[in-house]
Amino acid sequence: MKITKLGEFEELVLLTVAALQQEAYGVEIKRELESRLGEKLSVGSIQSALKRMEEKGFLTSEFGEATAKRGGKRKRIYSTTSYARKVLAEMREVRAGLWEAIPQLSPDLKMI
Amino acid sequence: MTTQPNDIHPPQWPLRLLRFFLKKQYLEEIEGDMEECFRDNLEQLSPAKARRLYAWEAVKLLRPALLENFEFLRNLTQAAMFKNYFKISMRNMMKSPLSAFINVFGLSAAIGICVFGFAFGRWTYSTDQFHEHKHEVFLATFFADRDGSVQQFGRTPRPLGEMLRHDFAHIKKVCRLDDRNVVVKHDDNVFHERVRFVDPEFLDMFTFPLKWGTPGSLADVNSIVLSEEAAIKYFGETNPIGQNMVVIFGKNVNKAFKVTGVAAKFPVSRSFGFDFLVNFENLKTAEPGYDMQDWKAFVNATFVQLDNPADAALLRQGMEKYRRVQNEAVQKEWAITAFGLEPLATLHETSEDIRDDIAHSSESNYASIVYMAVVALMMLLLACFNYINIAIVSAAKRLKEIGIRKSIGAARSLVIIQFLTENIFITAFALVVGVALGTFLFIPWFEGLFDFSMGFKLNDPQLWIYLPAILLFTGILSGLYPAFYISKFQVVSILKGSVKFGQSNPLTKGLLVFQLILACVLVTGGITFTRNSDFLAKRSWGYEPARVVYAEVPDGAAFEQLNAALLQNPNVVSIAGSTHQLGKRHTTTVLHFPDREYEVDHYAVDANYFETMGLPFEAGRGFHHEEGSDKQAVVVNELMVKNMAWGNPIGETFKIDTVEYAVVGVLKNFHSYSFSRPLRPTIFSVAPKADFHYMSIKAQQGTELQTLKALQGQWAKLFPETPFEGGHQEDVWGFYFQEIGIHGKVWRAFATIAVLLASLGLYGLIKLNVAGRVKEFSIRKVLGAGAKHITMKIADQYVILFAVALALGAPVSYVLMKMVMNMAYAVHMPLDYSNVMIAVVILIFVLLTTVAAQIRKVVKANAVQGLKTE
Repeated sequence: MKITKLGEFEELVLLTVAALQQEAYGVEIKRELESRLGEKLSVGSIQSALKRMEEKGFLTSEFGEATAKRGGKRKRIYSTTSYARKVLAEMREVRAGLWEAIPQLSPDLKMI
Repeated sequence: MTTQPNDIHPPQWPLRLLRFFLKKQYLEEIEGDMEECFRDNLEQLSPAKARRLYAWEAVKLLRPALLENFEFLRNLTQAAMFKNYFKISMRNMMKSPLSAFINVFGLSAAIGICVFGFAFGRWTYSTDQFHEHKHEVFLATFFADRDGSVQQFGRTPRPLGEMLRHDFAHIKKVCRLDDRNVVVKHDDNVFHERVRFVDPEFLDMFTFPLKWGTPGSLADVNSIVLSEEAAIKYFGETNPIGQNMVVIFGKNVNKAFKVTGVAAKFPVSRSFGFDFLVNFENLKTAEPGYDMQDWKAFVNATFVQLDNPADAALLRQGMEKYRRVQNEAVQKEWAITAFGLEPLATLHETSEDIRDDIAHSSESNYASIVYMAVVALMMLLLACFNYINIAIVSAAKRLKEIGIRKSIGAARSLVIIQFLTENIFITAFALVVGVALGTFLFIPWFEGLFDFSMGFKLNDPQLWIYLPAILLFTGILSGLYPAFYISKFQVVSILKGSVKFGQSNPLTKGLLVFQLILACVLVTGGITFTRNSDFLAKRSWGYEPARVVYAEVPDGAAFEQLNAALLQNPNVVSIAGSTHQLGKRHTTTVLHFPDREYEVDHYAVDANYFETMGLPFEAGRGFHHEEGSDKQAVVVNELMVKNMAWGNPIGETFKIDTVEYAVVGVLKNFHSYSFSRPLRPTIFSVAPKADFHYMSIKAQQGTELQTLKALQGQWAKLFPETPFEGGHQEDVWGFYFQEIGIHGKVWRAFATIAVLLASLGLYGLIKLNVAGRVKEFSIRKVLGAGAKHITMKIADQYVILFAVALALGAPVSYVLMKMVMNMAYAVHMPLDYSNVMIAVVILIFVLLTTVAAQIRKVVKANAVQGLKTE
């Protein structure tokens, strides 16, 4: 499976799901990402990313508890599959490798 | 966590939207998320903002990944097919931009006119509909027999309003209404105005909301309520509540009022409004001898408001008892036959047949709506026929496409659907352009001509019923035939190339003929209206208004003062005094003959009047100059003599009230009001000096303006308190000539668009026709055909068509125009064939130019090029 099938935003959402563990449901993911990215996200963008990744096999989900704040509706808790964790790890390695490959140029040299 | 106010809920419609569109298995989770986000937002934002965000989030949730795959969409395997149809339509439009332009331009111009017609119709039909109680409020009227025909009158006897209020329990409110011409003064602003005296219920019964002030204040006899326009005139944009205004009712009769209300801007279409409102009781101040109990005297209107509109019939019966009271009080000729009630909701329609009522009738607008509907339909037909013709002729280019579609399995119905889709696509495009044309071009232009506003709004829900209806109508009318026609050809013969196609479809010819007839009618209309307005502008009024200036005077004494001051002026030829004035004011009088009662227009004038106004005598004489003479003499007009069938009118007698009058002179017919009013039988009698209300001055040729200035100068010296009211006698018809000129303009615009559409269609037709025969013409040229021969080859089929079309169109136009003119004008130019002839010549010129342009191209083209191109 090509790891490029995972989009940039999807990767962020996937990492958030992995980080949040038992708390990984729609609004919580949104809050977490919003605070980390420092910008507003829409429910739609998070939801469509979650659904797409579930279809691609990166995520599984099951219903969690219902709260009054949610109007009595149940949460859906997402968790990452082992496949997803593998892809994330590969991606991280590729990125790290690329960072390594950037030559360490002295800023002074650039001034000339 | 803070406690949430549980009574704040997210809006419902976004939720319904989601429930409809999103996959069912996602709903619970997403609804929960949305609710939670909403609660989060509530902690920081206002409820309104949170709700807005909620809705916006819901809209943003409509993403492909989350949407339900609708069953019927999945069944529509044709989705891809429709996509293909759109693509083909776009490509076709790109490939032949001329045809596309003709189609879109034609259809959008026609739709623009339809939108304009809609706006006009809306404006007319919405008249008075803003009144909240329009179904419960009724105008009291009465019926009376006038010379054999029963007529309805909008005025009511003075005591009727009070009686109704006391006698009937189911009447909720009563409002009497009367008007007086007065002078209104605030500081240096002094103007002649018309004040409306009303009962305090006026502002409850009629929905004229106030911008400033309180409606109840009208109960106070010292308060005055202004319209927005009047407020701006006297006080500018500032709030005038509490300011003082002095109303001068007459000589030495004035009263100070306090402004307690200013009405908001009136809706654009209303049959009546007001400038100034004061309490009805003020009539007693205005006219010291005013008797509220006098059944002989009238007020301008009495309105009643019922609890239940169905009680109107009952009330009408109940009012029967007043008839006796009324008929005992008045003289025989004013006896009434019944009382009536007219609902406010339809007053703007019925007003046409009610005499002397306060409402403006919009009857003439209804006629205009019919004209506009006809013209709009004609334009739509023209544009649709262009579309059909071009579609049929250009179908030849698409034969291969259709052949292939059919051979790989498209049924005929699918080909029909394809062409209809293409058609709806173009029509929808034209609709957008047409609405823009109507909104930004036609409507503003028309409003500018008449200087009014139709209050047209794009968000009018009725417009959005009307537009799809037009889309459907136009789409089907223009698309159905081409679709059936093109789809019927057999695959084999198409691919073999044995179909002869499009060149000589009889329908194309028929439609072209029909288009030319329509164009002929509209061009004839344009010419007739234009020439008619010239004709009317030059037409004699039957007297000489050009050299006359006039002024309104308060009474005979004022007249004498002015007269003395002006007699020395060398520019003044003669001065006349009168109670009434041609074109401004007359009274209606009933004449008694032994065998009949006869109603006439009546003017009371002095001996100088006929000479001053230039009214020519047919027979007999005018009035003698000696004071007190001719008290029982009258001068009548020709029409009266004709209607009475008098062999020798001089010496004929009749009675007015109980006094006998004898005819001493006959005037030639003249138009006192505009040409749109038919002539009326008219009498003149001698006016007592004390009753003089008008001064008319005949000036030396060319000195009319100086004389008017002199008159105004003397006025300012003698009556500095009262503003001058008067002017050139030629101006008494006011807006009339402008209005006729506008009719001409509107028709010319319609005619231009019609000719443009027809000639564009013809141009496209010939171009396609010639394009299909390039090879043929090239071979002819190679074999030695000259320009003359080619011209004949192209033109012969069209020349016959033109001849047939014009031979049919000319008489049709003539008959139709005669009908329209007779309906629109009481007096119009004599109609002969000259207008139609001019139209025909214009059309022939346009047609020949169109054809010639194409022929020239073919003749000049290189034959070798024509043969080489495939």
